[in-house]
Amino acid sequence: MSEITIEAVPERSADPNAPLLEVTDYRVGFKTERGLAKAVDGVTFRLARGRTLGIVGESGSGKSVLNRSIMGLVVSSNQIEEGSITFDGTEIVDTDRQPFWGNRMSMIFQDPMTSLNPVMKVGKQIGEPLKLHLGMDKKQARERATELLTQVGIPEPTRRLDQYPHELSGGMRQRVMIAIALAGEPDFLVADEPTTALDVTVQKYILDLLGELQRDREMAMTLITHDLGVARGRTDDLLVMYGGRVMEQAPTEVLFSAMRHPYSEALLESIPTLDHPKHTRLNPIPGSPPDIVSPPPGCRFAPRCRYAQDRCATDLPELVSDGNHHYACFYPVGTEAGAEALQTNIERGQTAVGLRVSAEGRLG
Amino acid sequence: MTLARQLALRLGLFILLLLAVSMITFGAMNLLGDPLFNILGPISGCEDAISESGESVTVESSDGLAQNCGPDQIQAVQDAKEQYYLDKSLPERYVRWLGDAVQGDFGTSFANQGESVTNIVRDKLPVSLLLMVMAQTIAVVIAIPWGVWAASRAGKASDRVSTIGSFGLVSMPNFALGIILYYVLIVRLGWFPFRYEDDDLWSRINSLFVPAITLALPISAVYQRLLRTDLITTLQDDFILMARSKGVPRRSVLFKHALRPSMFSFITVFGINAGALIGGTLVIERIFQIPGAGSEIVTAVFREDFPVVLAFVVIITAGFVLLNILVDLLYSILDPRVRT
Amino acid sequence: MTTQHHSHLEDEEVPITFAVEGVVADDMPAEQFVTRKTLGWGFWVSIGWLVAIITAALLAPVLPIPDPGVDLSSDVGLREPPSTEAWFGTDALGRDVFSRVIWGARISLTVGFAAVAFGMVFGGSLGMLSGFLRGWFDSLTGFLFLTLLSFPALILAILMTSLLDRTLFTICVVLGVLGVAPVGRLSRAATIQFAEREFVTAAHTIGAKRGRILIRELLPNVVIPMGALALLGMAVAIVAEGGLAFLGLSVEGDTITWGKMIADGSDRREIEDAPWVAFFPITFLFLTVLALNFAGDKVREYFDVKEISV
Repeated sequence: MSEITIEAVPERSADPNAPLLEVTDYRVGFKTERGLAKAVDGVTFRLARGRTLGIVGESGSGKSVLNRSIMGLVVSSNQIEEGSITFDGTEIVDTDRQPFWGNRMSMIFQDPMTSLNPVMKVGKQIGEPLKLHLGMDKKQARERATELLTQVGIPEPTRRLDQYPHELSGGMRQRVMIAIALAGEPDFLVADEPTTALDVTVQKYILDLLGELQRDREMAMTLITHDLGVARGRTDDLLVMYGGRVMEQAPTEVLFSAMRHPYSEALLESIPTLDHPKHTRLNPIPGSPPDIVSPPPGCRFAPRCRYAQDRCATDLPELVSDGNHHYACFYPVGTEAGAEALQTNIERGQTAVGLRVSAEGRLG
Repeated sequence: MTLARQLALRLGLFILLLLAVSMITFGAMNLLGDPLFNILGPISGCEDAISESGESVTVESSDGLAQNCGPDQIQAVQDAKEQYYLDKSLPERYVRWLGDAVQGDFGTSFANQGESVTNIVRDKLPVSLLLMVMAQTIAVVIAIPWGVWAASRAGKASDRVSTIGSFGLVSMPNFALGIILYYVLIVRLGWFPFRYEDDDLWSRINSLFVPAITLALPISAVYQRLLRTDLITTLQDDFILMARSKGVPRRSVLFKHALRPSMFSFITVFGINAGALIGGTLVIERIFQIPGAGSEIVTAVFREDFPVVLAFVVIITAGFVLLNILVDLLYSILDPRVRT
Repeated sequence: MTTQHHSHLEDEEVPITFAVEGVVADDMPAEQFVTRKTLGWGFWVSIGWLVAIITAALLAPVLPIPDPGVDLSSDVGLREPPSTEAWFGTDALGRDVFSRVIWGARISLTVGFAAVAFGMVFGGSLGMLSGFLRGWFDSLTGFLFLTLLSFPALILAILMTSLLDRTLFTICVVLGVLGVAPVGRLSRAATIQFAEREFVTAAHTIGAKRGRILIRELLPNVVIPMGALALLGMAVAIVAEGGLAFLGLSVEGDTITWGKMIADGSDRREIEDAPWVAFFPITFLFLTVLALNFAGDKVREYFDVKEISV
């Protein structure tokens, strides 16, 4: 990684409509004993202030690496970054992004128990970014921290300031984490599976809170999740990732109403909902994520796709654009080609890769 | 269980242990040794000499030489027995000793014409304590920056060199290290005094400096390794990443966030190490000719001067156990999760 | 014999990604996480040294070296520096230092080995029994261990050596006793850990008697962590003998040990006039202890023995 450091944090650019974050053909690889692991293999998107981009995929899809790399948090001597990311007009790929952290871009993590310092009082943890970025003194920081805790909906905020993380409930800890992340008043927030470790009942409140705070502060946000259901209604645009590559990308409602990629479809079907009859088996997608060091030729998802045809195993589909809807598939869902492909597989009882397909079109 | 109750239990155990230690030491010395001989020398052989006529009788004493046992000698024997309660039973002698000891009177030395043991302790122990405190302080002062530095460079070449260095320091027996440092720093370079100088606090510290670093270096290597290990583990925790993402600069992350939760192994060993430190001090005092408790114990052991040995053993052991209790307390202060 | 040091080397294999800057996200290839558990070349070098020194010690009587007690002042001289006639020089009594180092190895190594053996046998069995039987026996031995551990190690050694005749046997016993408590606690903890595992319950249910379980099921498992620590224990014992020798409390008489050689060679005059007399035994002691520590640490890492919580 090069030693370029941005000396002073650049001023906020004048044009409010220009996208805050422009990511162009971004790639992240890690040198390993077996070869280059392409954790992120060509991602492009734009994110404006006040908008939310949802990034969806299973573990191993590259979604976490993508976001942490955008932030610049995953840094090691065997990491390679390529492509371009401009943050508010400044190119940040291959630079040390420390000057941005806390005051321009910030992150909240999945597990609030392990993400908060267990031996440091809550107030002090919130105070740190306040002192660092907003130049507050102890007294001011305490006042502001109390305000922040109120904003995130924590009752008896003054008392909480002197408590330790283990004294709070899971939901409260997550709120504290949000307060800490927003204390420095960043323009961009990465929310890495913020509700996965929480109780279902609490999830909704946290997500609502995030949405509210985002609107109030006009922040750009990326929301990472493996659950399409969480993404719906909370995001403006969606990016579906698999094996480090983008499978489908569209404004959220478009993606839901005109879903094209088989992986997106599979993700949608794997969400258990109240509509399903009781005792329905959960429908996870069989198989496991691909090897990102030496992936199989052809479409990354082919080994687990019920539409797979011969071509899928040999040729790598590129992103096809239909306005602002992009997808990488030869036999997309909801098209004639796709329907035919599925029919073929049903008739012969298996996909081109050898996965068994039932008469109803289910895998396995 | 509450802190107070815990403390009470620990103190109770402490007292039991001290009793056991003192009993064992007292018993062993009195059963396996010959107190009377140690006090009086060969005259002790006159114990059994009875002459009806009151004349001098020649007796062969325990070292094989002829000893003249006249009325004076017999009187000396009887005086000694009275003074040191030697004609009483062992348990009774122990209880007498214990009773006195608890009040701060550790009896009189067998040698030195019955000098008060308490005075001897009071003279010699502070020197050793100063040495040990200096050694531990130096060790910690070296270990923390070293450990942090090593953790931040984990896996790199400089870290490997540091590891080898640590290993080397730990494997070098402290008396060997002491000889080397004595030779280099005192004999050859002459930077520090040959003898212990007692003029003021500064000269004392100066005289104890080389012995202190002799003790401190291997200990600091151990502390540093533990700190490094724990730091590396802690640095993988999510909250470190979170702290970074807040914009906290690297150095602050290391010292303000990572260091405190990583100190536990190091502190645990701190207590256990005190035992090794005490042993090391004994030997080092010999090499550097420091008039501390260590030198005194060894001399007393050779003379079989039981009261002195007993007093030092009990006091030092008490200190050691107490220190471990304090370390446990410190543990719970540092980690708030343990408190509740 | 408190274990004087805990040397952790497992982090040598920590991949570079785990430096301060970053944490690897969970969608990373698994190779990055593996810490290779091999013994490594350093281990074999250490073993090589140990084998060499043990061999030399065993073969001392038949090696073509001068008698270690003989005064060579007529041939070579007193306090002569190393030369072709006397590889390590001669000491204040004209004796050949090289030969004395080899002969000294015999005793020093024997002490190390015997002390550890004693500690393991007695401490280990007491610990296992108390861990297995629990109840009043456990409390009693627990208190015994605690009392032993309350004595700072060297003080206990000094006490014992001053009251007993100082033969090779008693010195080994004394150092062994120092090890009984730490070894005992470890073996007790290990026994308890294993005893709770299912294979012991399984053995019970098929009607195995307790003694059988102890020996057939538990012992082999407890022996592994104990054995891993044996090398480290030897290092501590050898150093302890050195310390005792330094205080004049090691084996009496003409017996040569490294500790005694160092003690003899280290008063002020000797150090100035003939530093080699102390230097060579120091070097051998250091290298042997280093080899034991290093090998012991690797073994411990290999068998993955953590500090079993007591």
